[in-house]
Amino acid sequence: MNQWEVFVMDMAELAEGKDLELSIRTLNPGVHKYTYKHVKCQVSSNPEKLPDRLQVRMGRGQLSPARFSIKVIEEIQRMPAKYA
Amino acid sequence: MSKISAPRSNREFIEACVKAGDAVRIKQEVDWENEAGAIVRRACELGAAAPFMEKIKDYPGFSYFGAPLSTYRRMAISLGMDPASSLPEIGKEYLKRTNSEPIAPVVVDRKDAPCKENILLGKDVDLCRLPVPLVHDGDGGRYVGTWHAVVTKHPVRGDVNWGMYRQMMFDSRTMSGAVFPFSDLGKTLSDYYLPRGESCPFATAIGLSPLAAMAACAPSPIPEPELVGMLSGEPARLVKCETNDLEVPADAEIIIEGEICPDYKVEEGPFGEYTGYRTSPRDFRVTFRVNCITYRNNATMTISNMGVPQDEGQLLRSFSLGLELEKLLRSQGIPVTGVYMHPRSTHHMMIVGVKPTYSGIAQQIAQLAFGSKLGPWFHMVMVVDDQTDIYNWDEVYHAFCTRCHPENGIHIYRNTTGTPLYPFATPHERKYSIGSKVLFDCLWPVDWDKTNDVPTLVSFKHVYPKDIQERVLANWTAYGYPQAK
Repeated sequence: MNQWEVFVMDMAELAEGKDLELSIRTLNPGVHKYTYKHVKCQVSSNPEKLPDRLQVRMGRGQLSPARFSIKVIEEIQRMPAKYA
Repeated sequence: MSKISAPRSNREFIEACVKAGDAVRIKQEVDWENEAGAIVRRACELGAAAPFMEKIKDYPGFSYFGAPLSTYRRMAISLGMDPASSLPEIGKEYLKRTNSEPIAPVVVDRKDAPCKENILLGKDVDLCRLPVPLVHDGDGGRYVGTWHAVVTKHPVRGDVNWGMYRQMMFDSRTMSGAVFPFSDLGKTLSDYYLPRGESCPFATAIGLSPLAAMAACAPSPIPEPELVGMLSGEPARLVKCETNDLEVPADAEIIIEGEICPDYKVEEGPFGEYTGYRTSPRDFRVTFRVNCITYRNNATMTISNMGVPQDEGQLLRSFSLGLELEKLLRSQGIPVTGVYMHPRSTHHMMIVGVKPTYSGIAQQIAQLAFGSKLGPWFHMVMVVDDQTDIYNWDEVYHAFCTRCHPENGIHIYRNTTGTPLYPFATPHERKYSIGSKVLFDCLWPVDWDKTNDVPTLVSFKHVYPKDIQERVLANWTAYGYPQAK
């Protein structure tokens, strides 16, 4: 099970039952903690429903008490290939 | 100019600070996640010695040096001065050195450049191999660049720029940063690279000599490599990058080379800022793709932890902004007696002392200050007369509260350039760097009769004859008072 975190301005950005594109950062321990991936995913306000855990911070870094679960469907490469 | 013996590297600076009691060696392991940041923050808020953290969790061989220039004592040490030097003395020395002849840098061979002791290229490039700290809990990421220089060059004009643009680690090879459109790098990007869709080479130098960091932070028109030479009294030592033609400080602890992407942005922020708040919104910002990392053996990463006063974000920026404005005003023939920004204003208020020799002089000062390239970084100018000690907040505050006419003395300038970092700005103003400015004119109007209209200042040193003052001072302890400081 992985742990992720996302920044949103509005909780409505975390719509359930839809495929979303989000930049999420890993909270897994280790030197890569807090690095980001851009992913297609689904989220649920039920913290046990989907495989991974997701916590949420608001626009100025405030940690939301709400806990979500997340299913990462795929990583999306937005960066142009020339920079790879 | 007499020989200057300023620290030539971050390492020499740390040693000088430890020797003077202005840095402490922390031997126990410190976590890069919040703990190091919290130590630096507390040291800043207490005005304590700079923490030199010698053992970092997960990163054997690396160390941190925090709050490098968050006190005037450490600023004096960085200039090779007595740590007990007063602020006016430090300012006078800065002006003397930066008004001297430019000293061109020298380019050294890579074998003489400590920053080349370790080189990561290709698949080995991973920012997570560096002890990038999570500076504040809740920041948008781990910040690679908090006390550093982002080196770039205008491809046509050849202007070299070292700027302290904050940089967040987005992933192992990508950083994002706040580069505002009115900054030198922002202008270079919008002038050349963005219209052409060309990537802009950059190099981030971390763990600089304190005077190189001071130069990167100073809004001086002098190219930073030459400014370092003027401040230190000898040429800055540079070395060519591995993957581009830029030249970087050879004695820096860490160099990150890469390209700024003209056609791709990732999110940056939020981040604890020099105003003492997290203000600027998380947004898609300038994106740095990393191609190479070089670093010294046992490299020390420098950390500035910005927040409430006082840290180097306020102290050094206030210092250099004030003195650069003083140079500008003097170059225009304004009879200023001094310019000072109190660090606690988070470099938002410029206090200018002037001999009020003609009408409208305060307005002229404000227009020059706000209209200069320094202007976006502050929004208040307070002009006081030459009898007011600009370094004494009690005197300045008294002048403000008693001489600034509520109708005639306060002048507002609308729709100017601002920064997204202003806590008071509306969300719209932050997004588009829209500002507004205010002048507090605390001068007596020159058309008032000096004998009958201008009030007399009632203070010990202004209303009593000199012989009475001397008698009272001489007898002060005899009266039963302790000796006044």
